Amino acid sequence: AGPGAKRASGGAKARVVVIGGGYGGATAAKYVKLLDGDIEVTLIEPNAVYTSCPLSNEVISGHRDIKTLQVGYDGLKKRGVHVLQDMVIGVDRTKKVVTTKGGKKLEYDALVMSPGVEFHYDNIAGYSEAVINDIPHAWKAGEQTLILQKQLMAMPDGGKFVIVVPKGPFRCPPGPYERASLAASYLKHHGKTKSKIIILDANDSHSKKGLFQQAWKAMYGFEKEGMGTNGMIEWVKASEGGTVNKLDVASKTVHSDFVDLKADVLNIIPAHKAGKIAVDTGLAKESGWCKVVPMTMASAEDENIYTIGDSCVAGEMALYGNPNANFDMPKSAHIAMTQAKVAAAAIVAKVNGLPTPQPYYANTCYSIVGDDYGFSVAHQYRVENGTFKYIKEGSGVSPMAMPDKSPVPAIYRKLEAEYADGWVRNVMADAFG
Amino acid sequence: DPIEGLARTCNNCHGTGGVSVGYSMPSIAGLSETYLKNILMEWKSGARASANMTRLIKGYTDEEIAALAGYYSKLPWTAQVQPAAKELLAKGKDVTERCETCHGATGGQPDDKETPRLNGQWAKYLELEMLKYRDEGFQMTHKKMMKNTRKMEEGDVATAAKYYGAQSK
Ligand SMILES: Cc1cc2nc3c(=O)[nH]c(=O)nc-3n(C[C@H](O)[C@H](O)[C@H](O)COP(=O)(O)OP(=O)(O)OC[C@H]3O[C@@H](n4cnc5c(N)ncnc54)[C@H](O)[C@@H]3O)c2cc1C
Ligand code: HEC
Ligand code: HEC
Repeated sequence: AGPGAKRASGGAKARVVVIGGGYGGATAAKYVKLLDGDIEVTLIEPNAVYTSCPLSNEVISGHRDIKTLQVGYDGLKKRGVHVLQDMVIGVDRTKKVVTTKGGKKLEYDALVMSPGVEFHYDNIAGYSEAVINDIPHAWKAGEQTLILQKQLMAMPDGGKFVIVVPKGPFRCPPGPYERASLAASYLKHHGKTKSKIIILDANDSHSKKGLFQQAWKAMYGFEKEGMGTNGMIEWVKASEGGTVNKLDVASKTVHSDFVDLKADVLNIIPAHKAGKIAVDTGLAKESGWCKVVPMTMASAEDENIYTIGDSCVAGEMALYGNPNANFDMPKSAHIAMTQAKVAAAAIVAKVNGLPTPQPYYANTCYSIVGDDYGFSVAHQYRVENGTFKYIKEGSGVSPMAMPDKSPVPAIYRKLEAEYADGWVRNVMADAFG
Repeated sequence: DPIEGLARTCNNCHGTGGVSVGYSMPSIAGLSETYLKNILMEWKSGARASANMTRLIKGYTDEEIAALAGYYSKLPWTAQVQPAAKELLAKGKDVTERCETCHGATGGQPDDKETPRLNGQWAKYLELEMLKYRDEGFQMTHKKMMKNTRKMEEGDVATAAKYYGAQSK
């Protein structure tokens, strides 16, 4: 047995503590237990119910009931995971002890850190957490999702729905554009066709841009990039004034170097970095994100802590628009889950004194953009000689055209819209069930 | 088992252990090795279209694909029985008469190893598969399936799918 086995007490082979019960943390807890039932696993999460961000944009546009995206922790409890409804406030890396707000101290042999992201409101003058009930981000699903839904539905015809996108990397790279598409779908179906959806983007390109613009042209009269164009959706990139740096809360007006825009519904997605507890624990040294060891997802700073999910940066920083780049893994639920499975297998192997298993990472993000219209992006990564390798052959986006240049038959888009629903049900069950 | 690590990436979409709980996603645990290998290799070569699988599967070697097919075929088939009304079942039995020789009366007794089980597969998924066989713009490979499904009345497609989805064996 590994070093963990010696320290454990009370009959358990080793103790694993998991911080955060989102897609990453829940999957890690479940898979450690599945792979070795003799390991004691404790998951710490402040909320009793988790709301999935994936497909929450469909809730905003009235296409989905939020209940289909909500799940509790009974499934994990049934598998023998101890679930502690509490918040971790400190980690002592030397003593290997976690302290909670509720006053508990838990010793660990291995710690999984999956606290998601922490929002930073300070890039925009006048913006702060205090205004989010009025100017929602809806970038952590739940109450926020419903606030934005209400505002969209109450917006009169001719209103402006403004989405402010922060500089990447942010969680769910295609998310803001999916949101714009579904909001347009809502407005179109409710006869509010004089309305506008304006995306002010702090980036010069974005995920699946070609596919989004193709769909916007087909369904929402998208004309071309830039402000003041015809069509329901307008996309303003950073170099043309998309970077918002000032907000007037009372009038819901946002300002950039070139643009002043008064919104009827204002949705600001704040910039984000690794979860606070990961930063406080000293794991997010470089650029505010946690660096990892590719073979195991262990932190580059501490071999007993596994930093997975949105908090980590696995690979080099994102380089949009370069399909050949060995870019970092996008921040998605799908990737968080494959990272969690890698970490779980590495922990179980270490506890049992076995060699580290070969890791496999994969991502898929579906985007729904309208009725019977969806598409996706897939990424695969392996590890060679201790570094991440992007598997180009097994990655890519849905086609823009068929190989003979003819348009993509509608059935492809319909199938992907249908598969997105099956996907979310399976990831929720694979993580929490 | 090293193949399990690889299979875990499939299970995000296909469910823990290859048993799906998402209506539009197929369960893959317990399908025959021949069928699994055949369909995955056709996707890899490009002979067969898929909205997703063609892209993903090109990232796997032929040996890995063979190992995955072997792994999933050895897991038990879990029928997700989706109850349906009596009238629908009767109608379903009727419209799947010409399918019986290959799939068996309830979809659970395929006549050879190249034919997948349909009993307790998700009806939504089966319906979408039939749309693919019926669609001229979607490149499928199995001529007889294309011919047979194209002979169906449009309204019978969902009925047949629900009929098979409701069967336990
Ligand atoms: C609108 C939107 C759409 C999206 N769509 C998709 C999609 O289609 N597909 C996809 O794959 N991904 C999608 N994502 C991304 C996905 O939601 C995230 O990548 C995923 O949730 C990451 O999982 P995680 O475990 O890292 O973090 P989270 O799921 O955010 O979970 C973190 C958990 O940790 C808890 N926590 C934080 N701090 C502490 C602490 N100190 N102590 C205890 N617990 C703590 C939090 O309460 C939270 O429950 C979308 C995101 C958004 C916002
Ligand atoms: C991103 C989601 C996703 C991932 C990951 C995924 N699949 Fe699939 N798979 C699908 C979808 C969607 C279908 C439905 C059929 C289609 O795409 O044409 C499917 C269909 C299949 C089928 C056909 C089932 C049948 O009854 O005919 C097999 C076999 C299969 N997948 C195997 C795999 C294997 C093996 C892996 C991992 C190497 C995998 N899949 C990974 C989404 C996925
Ligand atoms: C001649 C034999 C034969 C007949 C007749 C036949 N099938 Fe099939 N069926 C197959 C085979 C073989 C496959 C797998 C084909 C492939 O690889 O594409 C299949 C696949 C399917 C699938 C896809 C299952 C999956 O998991 O992807 C469905 C659904 C289906 N059949 C329904 C029917 C229905 C309904 C009929 C009658 C209208 C029918 N079949 C008639 C042999 C047959």
